[in-house]
Amino acid sequence: MAREIYAYRCRRCGTLHYPFRMVCKSCRENDMFEFDPEPLPKKGRLLTFTHVHALPADFDVPRLGLGIVELENGIRITGQLAVEDPMMGMEVTGEVKVVRHTGYEDRYGMVFS
Amino acid sequence: MVDTLSLTPAGAAVVENGPASGASAIKAGFAAVASGLHDVVLVTGAERMREVNNLEATDFVATLTHPLAEYIYGVTLPAHAAMFTRLYMERYGVTERHLAMVAVKNQNAAMRNEFAHLHQPITIEGILDSPEAATNNPYVAEPLRFFDACPVSDGGAALLLVSADVAKGIDRPPVRIAGVGQATDTHAVHERTEPTDLLAVRAAAAKSFAMAGLGPDDVDVAELHDAFTILEIVESEEVGFFAKGEGHLALEKGETALGGRIPINVGGGLKGRGHPVGATGVAQAHEIVTQLRGEAGERQVDGAKVGFTCNFGGFGNNVVCLTFVKEA
Repeated sequence: MAREIYAYRCRRCGTLHYPFRMVCKSCRENDMFEFDPEPLPKKGRLLTFTHVHALPADFDVPRLGLGIVELENGIRITGQLAVEDPMMGMEVTGEVKVVRHTGYEDRYGMVFS
Repeated sequence: MVDTLSLTPAGAAVVENGPASGASAIKAGFAAVASGLHDVVLVTGAERMREVNNLEATDFVATLTHPLAEYIYGVTLPAHAAMFTRLYMERYGVTERHLAMVAVKNQNAAMRNEFAHLHQPITIEGILDSPEAATNNPYVAEPLRFFDACPVSDGGAALLLVSADVAKGIDRPPVRIAGVGQATDTHAVHERTEPTDLLAVRAAAAKSFAMAGLGPDDVDVAELHDAFTILEIVESEEVGFFAKGEGHLALEKGETALGGRIPINVGGGLKGRGHPVGATGVAQAHEIVTQLRGEAGERQVDGAKVGFTCNFGGFGNNVVCLTFVKEA
């Protein structure tokens, strides 16, 4: 089964959250964790980006692309960016992959290209 | 600390609030004195960041970012600042030259501060315009370069908060904490409705000014949290010194330099004085108190009566702003 990253929809008012919250940021009345998970869409538009050159030891690459993407449903996500020469506003597609290996475990997240 | 200074049986507590720890401790001390619970509170801030190498320090600081939505990807504080800078450049016309102007202003200001970490003057030529600039000043997280970031520093600062009654018996020019404001914003930066806003800075400053009964136009000298050059520009707008998107224009005109309309970071800021994380908020207050007492020597802002600090936690998810007034 394909891995997904989930957003969480408030059962009271319908507001979608990513990452998760225990109280809805919109109605603030949902205090019993009544949220339904739904997979984030993969397509979106690149809002901003960087290439990081000074990286933590977990990343054995000369530079790492990172970006904030506005997904089709309006939710934004921070992810890795596997685009050599990115442009603000370009269309990108995400895939859930290993984004960090900490020495003990693989962490999965969204990689856009 | 208690043993070193032989402070028994005084009470003691640790305030840990990331980069905003210093001002958060001042806030706690202020509340303790203002409520009458204590009449003398010693607030100290200290950090030894150079026990580890710079990349380890950067990774440790990066644990301030959202653990699931940011940190796992390799997001660091420079990465956040870089993505934010790119948006600001696109929307408001800020350029790498503006960023370099902040770096030069603050790092050179530190030459006049005996307590500063960096005593190394820099020029626009050396970090931006010359053929050597690409080597002197490489990209850390594009479009931010090495000199756009504060150094990794060891350091400490202390502040003695006393009640008005106790102050009468102290032979030092008194400075009053007139306003205390704190505000939060979302942890994950991508969740903010307007990605070029720093709403916690705006709200914390507004609360601080409201409590003091003053406004941004009353401020004579300010310490803003320039962990990255872009942050001085944006904070100067969000606290109300300049209109949104016009901070870099005021910088160009010299309005934020010593002798300008609202001198910012004349003690070097985080850029030049250094950023020992837990000490910074206290060091900012120390600079303002020194200025309001007229004891700042070569970097004195003439006639300064009202001072202001902005201590910025995380990437703006927890911010404390303080307003200081020189007592007659």
